[in-house]
Amino acid sequence: MPPPTTAGFDFESLRQVFDFSYFWSYREVLLSGLLVNFLVFGFAALLAAGSGFVVCLLRVSRSRAARGIGTFYVELFRNTPEYVFLTWVHFVLPLVLTRLLVTRVNFAPTLSAVLALGLCYSGYFAETFRTGILSIPRGHIDAGRAVAMGRALIMRRIILPQAIRRVLPEALNNSVSLFKATSIVSLIAVPDLMYNVVNVVQYEMRPLPLYSSAAFLFFAILFMLSALVQALTERWRTRAWG
Amino acid sequence: MPPNADPESSQPVVKVVDLHKSFGALEVLKGISFEVHRRDVVSIIGASGSGKSTLLRCVNHLEVPTSGEVRISGRPLGFRLDGGRRRPDSLAGINRIRMDIGMVFQQFNLWPHMTVLQNVMEAPVYVRRLPAAEARDIAMGNLAKVDLLDKRDECPARLSGGQQQRVAIARALAMQPKVMLFDEPTSSLDPELTAEVLAAMRDLARDGMTMMVVTHEMGFAREVSTNVIFLHDGRIEEEGDADHVLTKPRSERCRQFLSRVLR
Amino acid sequence: MDVFRRVVLNNLDALLGGLWVTVQVSAIAFVLALLLGFAAALVRLYVRPARYLAETYIQFCRNTPIFVQLMWVAYVWPDVVGWPRSFFAAGFTALALQSSGYLAETFRSGIQGMDRGQRESAYSLGMPPLLTMRRIILPQVLLLMSPAIMNQFLVVVKSSTLVSVIAVPDLMYHALRLTRVWLEPIEILSVTAFLYIAMVFVLSTLIKWHTDRMRARFG
Repeated sequence: MPPPTTAGFDFESLRQVFDFSYFWSYREVLLSGLLVNFLVFGFAALLAAGSGFVVCLLRVSRSRAARGIGTFYVELFRNTPEYVFLTWVHFVLPLVLTRLLVTRVNFAPTLSAVLALGLCYSGYFAETFRTGILSIPRGHIDAGRAVAMGRALIMRRIILPQAIRRVLPEALNNSVSLFKATSIVSLIAVPDLMYNVVNVVQYEMRPLPLYSSAAFLFFAILFMLSALVQALTERWRTRAWG
Repeated sequence: MPPNADPESSQPVVKVVDLHKSFGALEVLKGISFEVHRRDVVSIIGASGSGKSTLLRCVNHLEVPTSGEVRISGRPLGFRLDGGRRRPDSLAGINRIRMDIGMVFQQFNLWPHMTVLQNVMEAPVYVRRLPAAEARDIAMGNLAKVDLLDKRDECPARLSGGQQQRVAIARALAMQPKVMLFDEPTSSLDPELTAEVLAAMRDLARDGMTMMVVTHEMGFAREVSTNVIFLHDGRIEEEGDADHVLTKPRSERCRQFLSRVLR
Repeated sequence: MDVFRRVVLNNLDALLGGLWVTVQVSAIAFVLALLLGFAAALVRLYVRPARYLAETYIQFCRNTPIFVQLMWVAYVWPDVVGWPRSFFAAGFTALALQSSGYLAETFRSGIQGMDRGQRESAYSLGMPPLLTMRRIILPQVLLLMSPAIMNQFLVVVKSSTLVSVIAVPDLMYHALRLTRVWLEPIEILSVTAFLYIAMVFVLSTLIKWHTDRMRARFG
């Protein structure tokens, strides 16, 4: 590491930390990077919620084989560090697929990012959905069985409508975490906010204001998102309807 | 089968033969046999743990019997006879018979995300596949029967326990069942609310519905039931005419139970 | 198979050395996070004038991605406060910051959720607040929150993969270096992934045992 330029506290450097003018002058390229974060987040969230739901159904199925597959899936993706999986999906998966499909397969970085983050977080979503489904009182299901409703009908008309409302807060929290995770996609050359910040730093040689601004920006966005989710959760809880 | 013969009128509505039910190593029902005929109102009484609820839940196959037979109007429930061999029935087959059985639960089990009217209409529309307008008429008719038509657009959470249970009765009736099962319908209710539910059940009996009721309400059992079954430790200790079982039981255990409960 | 031997087995010492660095960084970061988080929770709860400062600290730590924090600590802090002086220190500091936010919240909700009766019974026996905290409240909080605390360690281990970005020679760093050198990503990255997954899986199984045992004992 290059030795620090000061031996103790340096007010001049501190002033630079709060100097947002550098960030502002590059705002177009930097904020377009932020847009990429949101884009990756959007698609990854769809993938994560969608496959999470499917896996959740596997986990609550009557077939032991299905439950086993579902559990293995969840354990695998919850125990895998995101960065590890990201590099694996981007560098290894195309090569494996190339050998299997005998045609040249290449992943664009953005695709790898969406795939990796989506699959990683599908494990969390699957758990969240499963908790929601299992929280529906047994009696409601028995009442459905007593009026001769089949399993699919019970799931569709009784369990899911209630479960969706119960899992929404936790699912939103999962989504906020997913957005936080999109910050690592720069490491496989996806042109997101951090990617552009690092480039600008190399060009301007001014790490202090730029990295600090990036940190503050991320903080502001994530703080607002968490606060929003919190407010919504409170509102839904007080509007208890059973 | 001769075209004019009605195969169901001569059969008992519910026929249970040598029913056994074990949960793991614990045997809860140890060989239960009885018949319920049309217009019978059967009260099932006994101490907690005697297997009353389990028995009722076996009658509509919410619990799967370990062995024995349940027949509804002669039709086997939970199994098929395949040229003399017994095979487990499919869920579709079981549900076809469940449509003729109504059940009311101790915890009401109304669906909280639907209004009262939607609760009652749900099964006629989605199980019997009736058109919505017809289902609505049936539902409103049944809600009127339990005197809750004015609450039809409310959510269940806003109703009292007694009102919720009456909605549950209407919901079961909307399927036009041949027999109604009641699993301790008033045990979760405050005493003031019990009366309205018992009154609804009394009206049902008077209108000729076949009913099986697991209950601790001995007054109801004596006034409304035609038969009483006393269960002890998974077996039928005493059964017969309601008046007879409740005032002059032959079994000592039954006598002890009644003296404890009727004090 | 030949590739495997050439690329992975020959470099096993580098990979295992990286694994050891991962363990070190994670352990130091976690201990630091516990201290910082506990301190922040206490300040947030009991030091009225500094409440908002502590809350801001906690929110900042929780709402900033670990990668962003790493870059910030590694490239901004040295010039402002003169420390960290090594990338390794920057690595465990950033990891500690990230987790201290969550741990502070865990401690806070644990302490606040502690049954008021516990505190009152201690006070009525004449126990001063500090002793009550040390002997009655804290042990119970630690026990009750231990699953959440241990899960945070899991998060630290998973996040530690990012310190490779600031050139800390952990497992991920060596794996990526070898990939660039040998241009054979399949074996190396798969083995690396396997090592990380195995590590995390073993830890999470231990945590699950502990949680189940606790639930059996305390309900």
